[in-house]
Amino acid sequence: MKKQGTTMATRDAVEPMIPWWAGGLGIGVVLILAVALVQPIGVSTQYVVLDRVLLHRMLADVAAQSPYLVDTAGGWTLLNFEFFFVIGIPIGAFLASLATKRFSTRLVPVEWARRFGPIPGRRLVWSFIGGFILLFGARFGGGCTSGHMISGVSQLAVSSLIFSAALFVSAIMTARWLYGDWGKR
Amino acid sequence: MKLLLGLILGAAFGAVIQLSGASSYSKITNALRLKDLTIMKLILTAIGVGLIGVHLLDALGLANMKVKDLYLPGLVVAGLIFGVGFAVTGYCPGTALAAAAEGKPDAWATVLGGLLGALVFAFMFPDLETYLLSFGRYGPVTIHGSFGIQGLLLAAPLGALCLWLAAKLPAGGGAR
Repeated sequence: MKKQGTTMATRDAVEPMIPWWAGGLGIGVVLILAVALVQPIGVSTQYVVLDRVLLHRMLADVAAQSPYLVDTAGGWTLLNFEFFFVIGIPIGAFLASLATKRFSTRLVPVEWARRFGPIPGRRLVWSFIGGFILLFGARFGGGCTSGHMISGVSQLAVSSLIFSAALFVSAIMTARWLYGDWGKR
Repeated sequence: MKLLLGLILGAAFGAVIQLSGASSYSKITNALRLKDLTIMKLILTAIGVGLIGVHLLDALGLANMKVKDLYLPGLVVAGLIFGVGFAVTGYCPGTALAAAAEGKPDAWATVLGGLLGALVFAFMFPDLETYLLSFGRYGPVTIHGSFGIQGLLLAAPLGALCLWLAAKLPAGGGAR
């Protein structure tokens, strides 16, 4: 357990503290408990829920103009199981990173820097644009890695299998193109 | 009670994501570049355990299932869009939250971009619904449902297959 530096371009603390099978088992058990006690897990809807509540607080009449915002679950509240599940994620991750001394404020990942340079602004801008695309796609598809790939595929949902397949094809092609892997043979 | 349960399950999920490397930009992008398949093995294990556990619960009448609607070709387009964002950021909507909490500023940018992307989608939804989402709708279809069989009959062998694949995939990956 080495302490991570906070220099501009550093390697992520990539070495996992638990093996892949323990990680997969842990996620599977969380899903099973959620399905047994409340409902399957999902994350991306809560981005809309937070948007909805924030917009309703600031510009209530604008929020009311979007039937999608009005329809996404009932009430203009954050007090529900799904939102608290999503709030739990950063809390758990924060505590886990502290406990294993892997909290790190690295801005530019080393793999990114190798390809696109160590400029912090560039990484931030593309992370923002990428986040925009990510959630736009997730809402379009009605779910993300959690709701579709973990929850949906586990329920044998056809929609989730199709979304997950399209997601992986696109993500693998984009990643290999972005990092110039096509050229290297 | 449900709020506390949500918080606890979410925290467990976040901790597992953090400890297993799933919130790491490097781990995710190297998985997508097919250079390090650890994350693929992890996802296959999660789905394998999920398939068997969820359908076992369902067979006992204890599951609260929630299957998402099938709509073609909207879902394919959505998945393709999502994949681009996934590759560029190295995060998905859940792991971005975990990585942000670990201190990564680029994950904060991803979360903020995501909030804007979700908002823009919300306001574009009426038009998208008219042009892309209104046809090819089939409702919440499941594989076992369309065959009219008990889910566990399919989920058990498929789950076992996922777990077997997870064990067999080389961690290092096969990409040149």
